[in-house]
Amino acid sequence: MIDVRNLHKSFGDHEVLAGVNEHIEKGEKVVIIGPSGSGKSTFLRCLNLLEEPTSGDIIFEGQNITSKKTDINLIRRKMGMVFQQFNLFPHLTVRENIKLAPVKLGVMDNLAADARAMELLERVGLPDKADSYPIQLSGGQQQRIAIARALAMNPDVMLFDEPTSALDPEMVGEVLEIMKELADDGMTMVVVTHEMGFAREVGTRVLFMDGGNIVEQNEPREFFANPQNPRLKDFLSKVL
Amino acid sequence: MRFDEWLTAAPDWLSGGPEWLQQLCYSFYQTWIMDGNWKFFADGLRITLLTTVGALILGVLIGVFIAIVRSAYDSRRAGTRPNPLFWLLNLICKLYLTVIRGTPMMVQLLISCFVIMLPRGERELLMCAIITFGINSGAYVAEIVRSGIMSISSGQMEAGRSLGLNYGQTMRYIIIPQAIKNILPALGNELIVLVKETSIVTTIGLKDLTKGAQIIVTNTYNTMMTYISLAVIYLVIVLILTKLLGIFERRLRASDRR
Repeated sequence: MIDVRNLHKSFGDHEVLAGVNEHIEKGEKVVIIGPSGSGKSTFLRCLNLLEEPTSGDIIFEGQNITSKKTDINLIRRKMGMVFQQFNLFPHLTVRENIKLAPVKLGVMDNLAADARAMELLERVGLPDKADSYPIQLSGGQQQRIAIARALAMNPDVMLFDEPTSALDPEMVGEVLEIMKELADDGMTMVVVTHEMGFAREVGTRVLFMDGGNIVEQNEPREFFANPQNPRLKDFLSKVL
Repeated sequence: MRFDEWLTAAPDWLSGGPEWLQQLCYSFYQTWIMDGNWKFFADGLRITLLTTVGALILGVLIGVFIAIVRSAYDSRRAGTRPNPLFWLLNLICKLYLTVIRGTPMMVQLLISCFVIMLPRGERELLMCAIITFGINSGAYVAEIVRSGIMSISSGQMEAGRSLGLNYGQTMRYIIIPQAIKNILPALGNELIVLVKETSIVTTIGLKDLTKGAQIIVTNTYNTMMTYISLAVIYLVIVLILTKLLGIFERRLRASDRR
């Protein structure tokens, strides 16, 4: 589904991604962990071209999205993204936040989008917040709305960029719960996170990034029980 | 009407009153009532307001356009080579900002009126003033709008783009509506500056409020009452504008306290 070939990304002289190769299958739940500065967020943001790769190819559903000829806006409709800072639109109600993209892009009419928004709000457990504004909600609730908003376009894959890092500890669970349900429904997911419990429980594959490359990957049980790379051993000994 | 003539026609409480009060009332009479002098103020006020409103509309149109070009150029994908047309457009915008902000308003007015447009008649003079002030104001509005756009966190743009909206759509539905709230106080300030600055159109012979006062002075030789009246009129206009802007701003802010 997503094929990443020799992906490089530099900010000026600083090389953040040093030739990443990776293949993600439909239905996989890939969890990316690693120390800060290892390039994991940059890697994720390259997947929907929020960061422009310096070189390399990203093939999504058979289309090379790094090619200038590809309309990235059409590709992004198929890739939902959830941010660390939620990034809800503060001037719009929850319902309007969810409806904005489907309506303005002409994917759904107003009525259908309304129904879809309510359906998604049921799914994230916040149907009573439809007419609230983001500022009135807790961090956990905002992030659940952000997930609903990303789902409104019916994406084929969901990208999560440290979705629980900005949350108070007691709100992390509710967001992870929604993500778990999403995974159980068969959504393809790429998740950058520090939640090792989530990686172990929900991930079908865990990647460890360090120094701009994927240095080790495995299915979760083996990954945590039997790490090979000394950097990974060191990292796990600090976070677990 | 001379002072002594005027005094005989004045009501008893005044002709029997202290002399300073008589003088004061006479100069008010001279400035406002004699020979229909108030019409110079009224006609001038009309021209001043027309110039201001016209210039503001033109300035906002130019300003928003330039602000969007400039911020789009600055936020294009880093490291990529920009489209040469886009590059040129941005360069023209920057040049415009530099020239307009780097030369005095009055000099711009002289050049546009006596070198470029050469207007004839009252109507053309007014158009010339509106266009010149609009172009001048546009440069300042552009920077106000740009600062408003930049005050919105980059996460908002990313969220919009990640949903598949293009740059223009994200600007229109997400960034600009939020930026307006931050722009409004500075834009109001620009409007107030503009009202007062239009007084320099007297130099190209447009009969605005200030010119009206000057005409009255040449008729009456009464500088104090006339120019203080002029100042009060400007002050009242500005006070009214300030009040209106305050109301408008409070309405917008109300949405923050929901």
